[in-house]
Amino acid sequence: MSAVAIWHRYGRGLAPLLWGAGLVGLLAWLPRAEGFFRWLAPGARVVIYPRDDFTALLLNHLALVGVASGLAILLGVGAALVVTRPWGRDFLPLASQLAAMGQTFPPVAVLALAVPSLGFGALPTVVALVLYGLLPILRNGLAGIEGIDPAVREAARGMGMSPGQVLWRLELPLAAPVMLAGIRTSVTVGIATAAIGSTIGAKTLGDPIIAGIVNGNSAYILQGALLIGVLALTLDSLFEALTPRRR
Amino acid sequence: MTETPRIALKGVTKRFGAETAVDAISLNIAAGEFCVLVGTSGCGKSTTLRMINRLIEHSDGEIHIDGQPIREIDPQRLRRRIGYAIQSTGLFPHWTVARNIALVPGLLKWPRARTLERVEELMTLLGLAPSEFADKYPAQLSGGQAQRVGVARALAADPEILLMDEPFGALDPITRESLQEELRRLQGRIRKTIVFVTHDMDEALKLADRLVVMRAGRIVQQGSPAELLAAPADEFVASLLGGRDRGLKRAALTPVARLMRPVDARLPMEPAVAPDEDLRLALSVMLWHRVETLAVVDGEGRACGSLHLSDLMGGGI
Ligand SMILES: Nc1ncnc2c1ncn2[C@@H]1O[C@H](COP(=O)(O)OP(=O)(O)OP(=O)(O)O)[C@@H](O)[C@H]1O
Ligand SMILES: [Mg+2]
Repeated sequence: MSAVAIWHRYGRGLAPLLWGAGLVGLLAWLPRAEGFFRWLAPGARVVIYPRDDFTALLLNHLALVGVASGLAILLGVGAALVVTRPWGRDFLPLASQLAAMGQTFPPVAVLALAVPSLGFGALPTVVALVLYGLLPILRNGLAGIEGIDPAVREAARGMGMSPGQVLWRLELPLAAPVMLAGIRTSVTVGIATAAIGSTIGAKTLGDPIIAGIVNGNSAYILQGALLIGVLALTLDSLFEALTPRRR
Repeated sequence: MTETPRIALKGVTKRFGAETAVDAISLNIAAGEFCVLVGTSGCGKSTTLRMINRLIEHSDGEIHIDGQPIREIDPQRLRRRIGYAIQSTGLFPHWTVARNIALVPGLLKWPRARTLERVEELMTLLGLAPSEFADKYPAQLSGGQAQRVGVARALAADPEILLMDEPFGALDPITRESLQEELRRLQGRIRKTIVFVTHDMDEALKLADRLVVMRAGRIVQQGSPAELLAAPADEFVASLLGGRDRGLKRAALTPVARLMRPVDARLPMEPAVAPDEDLRLALSVMLWHRVETLAVVDGEGRACGSLHLSDLMGGGI
């Protein structure tokens, strides 16, 4: 096989592995890269973000996004399914409106609103992430299910499939690519948004960035930004690999 | 006492809100009968069909299958017993042709081997070579092939009853005619009870044992195609049946063999018609060749009779 053919066959599966390796490499390299960052920020006294270990920040960041995305998927997909059942149809317009509205709301505003009621730290961050991540999932979930050809549904019912069979054998497989695209958007945006959680005291990869901005230390900013960027790319390529290819 | 009809509708009404889509219709369909519903758009044909498999619940009256009220039968069980084919096929886009056909046997938990055998049998019956089509996806099929798969899927679990809602409505005339021809041949072999909706009067006349004309939710007239053509109940039925074109439509119902005289040795072998071709075609051939007599030649190319225009005019049709 030629290199091109190999890439076509395994490339999509390979990309997340490569990005993941890049991420691990970055974690190993950053603490030792004093020379590079000193050259980058000659004025600063300390050039490697000292307050926390990058790996700990990354894991915490991932945990926040993981919990929030898990909840968002559960709620978003669940709501999309409920409002497309015959008994939940009444709520379909409401759900559609919510899904359309959400994206016009900046995440910082959600965070700012969460603090007074939930205080500082991880909890309000997770709540904000869930609220913000819910909407693309709900929207795509609805689009995926509503996008199924009504004739296919009619035939399925006419052949004697039960509602459960229609859901598992027809609706979910047919809506999966669109749903997955929504989850992908939600998670990728969540990785970036979680960094803002640092402003309200959650431990995330945003910490070095905030510290860098406050102290005028561009080396810190770059360290946080690099990690967030590579993390987002790793997860995004993972979704790319998971998405079923169109026939 | 006559036999219980396979399907009996007794004063069946369907209301959608204030609107009455089907208004107290009564209809008996015998086992093995090919019943075609015709009528203008919106007159309630699809609604009638879909009440039979409980995709729509009737508001009033009773529908019986083999004497049993369908309200007493679990809708899913009922539908698995009734084949259903629709114009837009509704094939599952993410399933192969073979898997689509195997849908109902799968729901009925047939053993795998029996299902596979049945799928292959049906594909062959409907002219879809299993080696070529079994693993294709619906998007890879032509309209005619997809419709064949739709019919095969409806027949898969060998149901007694087949409901077909304009199954050939979206096909080009040539494909449509060949599928009609095949369905008629198929029906000759399998003798299902078929309820068929169509807009195409030629299709209706060609396929129907019983033709049911509907208008605004009611049955205006029913009977065999010949009966209806001979004595349409009113202007509406007459115009639906083709108005002044009825003469030819009626000729199309009669095979040449019916009016055939013995072989006439003086007649040339050309132009000729076959005994199983219809009189409309024979008329067309006469008109084209400007002759009043035609040789009747069978499939093997042997003369088996002659056809005279005067017999057509003499009231034979
Ligand atoms: N689910 C529904 N809700 C409300 N009204 C309906 C519904 N289904 C059908 N109708 C109405 O019932 C009437 C009959 O509809 P139906 O689909 O049975 O007509 P049809 O004879 O099949 O027409 P066509 O030839 O155009 O397919 C129409 O006036 C239609 O608007
Ligand atoms: Mg219709």
